Amino acid sequence: MTTAVEMLGIRKVFPGVVANDNVNLSVEEGEIHALIGENGAGKSTLMNVLFGLHHPEAGVIKIRGKEVHIRKNADAIALGIGMVHQKFKLVPSFTVAENITLGSEPRHRGIFLDRKAVHDNVMEISRRFGLQISPDARIQDLPVGVQQRVEILKALYRQADILILDEPTAVLTPKETRDLFGVIRSLVANGKTVIFITHKLREVMEISDRVTAMRDGKVVGVTKTTETNPTQLARMMVGRDVLLRVTKTEAQPKDVVLQIRDLHVFDDRNLKAVQGVSFDVRAGEILGIAGVEGNGQRELVEAIVGLRPAWNGEIQVKAQNLTTLNIRQRREVGVSCVPEDRYVRGVALPASIEDNLIVNNYFKPPIAQGPLLKPDVIARHAQELIETFDVRTPSKDVPAYALSGGNLQKVVLARELSAQPDLFIAAQPTRGLDIGSIEFVHRRIVEARDRGAAVLLVSAELEEIMSLSDRIVVLYEGKIMGAIEGARATEEGLGLWMAGITSEGSPEAAGH
Amino acid sequence: MREKLRTITQLLRNAFGRSIGILLSILAAVMVGSIIMLIEGQNPLEIYWLLIKGALGSQRGLLISLQRATPLIFTAIASTLAFRTGVFNVGVEGQFFIGAICGAFVGYAVKLPMLIHLPLTLAAGFFGGALWAFFPTIMRQKLGVSEIITTIMTNYIATFLISYLTNYPLRHTPTTPETPPVQPTAQLAQFVELSEGTFGKGTQAHVGIFIALLVVIVMYIIFKRTRIGYEWRMVGLSFPFSEFGGINLDRTFIGGMLVSGGIAGLGGAVEILGVWREYKDLFAAGFGFRGNLAALLGGQNVIGSTIAALFYGGMEAGALGLEWSAGVPRQLIDIVVGLIIFFMAAEGMWAFVRRIKWVRGSRAVHRTTEDLEV
Repeated sequence: MTTAVEMLGIRKVFPGVVANDNVNLSVEEGEIHALIGENGAGKSTLMNVLFGLHHPEAGVIKIRGKEVHIRKNADAIALGIGMVHQKFKLVPSFTVAENITLGSEPRHRGIFLDRKAVHDNVMEISRRFGLQISPDARIQDLPVGVQQRVEILKALYRQADILILDEPTAVLTPKETRDLFGVIRSLVANGKTVIFITHKLREVMEISDRVTAMRDGKVVGVTKTTETNPTQLARMMVGRDVLLRVTKTEAQPKDVVLQIRDLHVFDDRNLKAVQGVSFDVRAGEILGIAGVEGNGQRELVEAIVGLRPAWNGEIQVKAQNLTTLNIRQRREVGVSCVPEDRYVRGVALPASIEDNLIVNNYFKPPIAQGPLLKPDVIARHAQELIETFDVRTPSKDVPAYALSGGNLQKVVLARELSAQPDLFIAAQPTRGLDIGSIEFVHRRIVEARDRGAAVLLVSAELEEIMSLSDRIVVLYEGKIMGAIEGARATEEGLGLWMAGITSEGSPEAAGH
Repeated sequence: MREKLRTITQLLRNAFGRSIGILLSILAAVMVGSIIMLIEGQNPLEIYWLLIKGALGSQRGLLISLQRATPLIFTAIASTLAFRTGVFNVGVEGQFFIGAICGAFVGYAVKLPMLIHLPLTLAAGFFGGALWAFFPTIMRQKLGVSEIITTIMTNYIATFLISYLTNYPLRHTPTTPETPPVQPTAQLAQFVELSEGTFGKGTQAHVGIFIALLVVIVMYIIFKRTRIGYEWRMVGLSFPFSEFGGINLDRTFIGGMLVSGGIAGLGGAVEILGVWREYKDLFAAGFGFRGNLAALLGGQNVIGSTIAALFYGGMEAGALGLEWSAGVPRQLIDIVVGLIIFFMAAEGMWAFVRRIKWVRGSRAVHRTTEDLEV
């Protein structure tokens, strides 16, 4: 086997930070190579160097054994390197074929677009690699998983032999992930080489042949997948032992705290996003709401919190009707929430951590006395929360934007949990966080439950839902597809519900 | 610890960078101004020296600087307050004039002992300005009309309304469009009156400067130490965050605009009661706009805006002195002042760009070093 990609001693410095420090990476031809590491470990930087988007300060790149100089993106493409970014770069109103050929269209007499050639080319490639696709469909009408396939085809159309996939599964349902893995295997069978960036260890174990782990801008380990295990990989990535599975005791559910009956909510486009949803959450239990994003979860949470009116139906917390209350009144009843868009709603980025920590209690004692704030109490409050929630920050006065994603989420958690809520809503609480932070957030959520809060966990991550929830309901197109006890749920069963497929009979039937 | 040091040095560098930037922009303006003066056949060094001397070189110059700065402090604070709640109140100009006419009216039409009359007159100015801010505010909150457009429009309405009032119903003499003089019980004393001519001779500096400074202190405390101040700051920094946190956006925003308009109106009344003592149609336009500028230059914070307003007042006083003593055309000085502001505004852009870079840089730093320690 020859080496497809060899990167030697790569060094890339951004102002104030060494993103890649003497990094070596070697990828064999025809292998699936997983590149793992936490956020900011330098994986994406390394791949952007390979793809010609960043210029390293030092280092040598060899492609198929030959030293190359990649000065710009086009050089990388000419060398047969393709990359599928996390955020797709597609024109929504164009067809699949137009997107794939955009920028290197077959021409007719040098000027006119040769539509037939475009169509045929795309059909040919998709047949060769077993990527089923209809070349004339418009991107905007396609599900995310198919859009990703278009991105892959785009790279293949440009004769890529080495494909870089940057966290490709982050946006996919379990079924789409399985389909993607099928595609990756067929690519490799056709002689392609795949570099797969991820921090999901289960996927590494399932798909890859070899793994390179990065931490803090350096490579900390290279191993064959068959010779390692998730625990060992996690330790490599984080630098210490990590609990991959949340440890929690049996739930002790008590009284119903949140009661929702026949709730209907509209979304921003005035379409019905939540359609007749009913469920309860009891004190001392975690109800997980699973579902592919965009199936009404956002609107459901916003309706409970008070950011969005409920068009019809009941929302009760501790037997109090919430629908006529404003946001603050609902918070005073005992509702707290970690919102899904933490950079927008969770914190005010330019405000200090201290100010971010008091938005839910600045108006009442002990923080305020009459119209006046008490700076010493506020400072102590901030200091205490920073310590108990282990927020890594130089001081309570730095603006929130100076914090990393994990630490920012801790600030949000600290504020929302310090209110000792009766109903605690956590919406996509670990999205974009790395393993260490995820572990922390999960522990806090279980602690809130054990303290006696009713917890509503909304997540698109099935693993998260399954490991935390005492009960699970699945939302699909604004309706509840099914409900099942956490212990009895299986990934396949939930996955079917998430895809909108109802199995006949009881919930257990879906568990197979 | 390393983190801490890095942040501290970063903050220092930012503060230092900002003052360096301001100095450089003044230098650039001075140089471009010099070229223009040389073309005009003037000696730039001499003119600048006279400018500084005119503003700061004598008791009289200093007092004129203060007098010129007084109305600007009000309008600068009013703009700052609006900026901080996330609005561009271009209507400070109109609110200032409505406050002035309200002050003039209550000042001459009411007969009361000073202890009641003066506060009442000032209150009339405040409420006049607040009322003038109310219409665009409501239009924005209820109909979603941009406050930049509506406040510009209310400026025109204010100008013409006052023109009508001073020409017809409130007109005092047939010869000029102006109101009757303000009663002595509603006047703010000038220093020269208080000292019976021994202090502040040849100036109209008046005790209104203390009201201005009081407003500065009160606003500073409100922003730092009160619930409403916290609400204003948070709403200005992030709408969605404030809403999610339970802050009543409508109330905060409307309250902020009304107080902003009120402060502008109070400034108008103070200017009338201290300097003019009657309302002359269009007695001096541009106080509001210069206040907007001072707030921008001052970094949209209370102290910075006050300093910028004082600076502005000093420049005007200096220019005034120049015209008298050296026969330099006033317009030449206005050009230099305009240039300084132009370059400083550009500097503001640089500060903004730097901050954005810093935000990105620091994120990257924290991502790599901190998350791993979690």
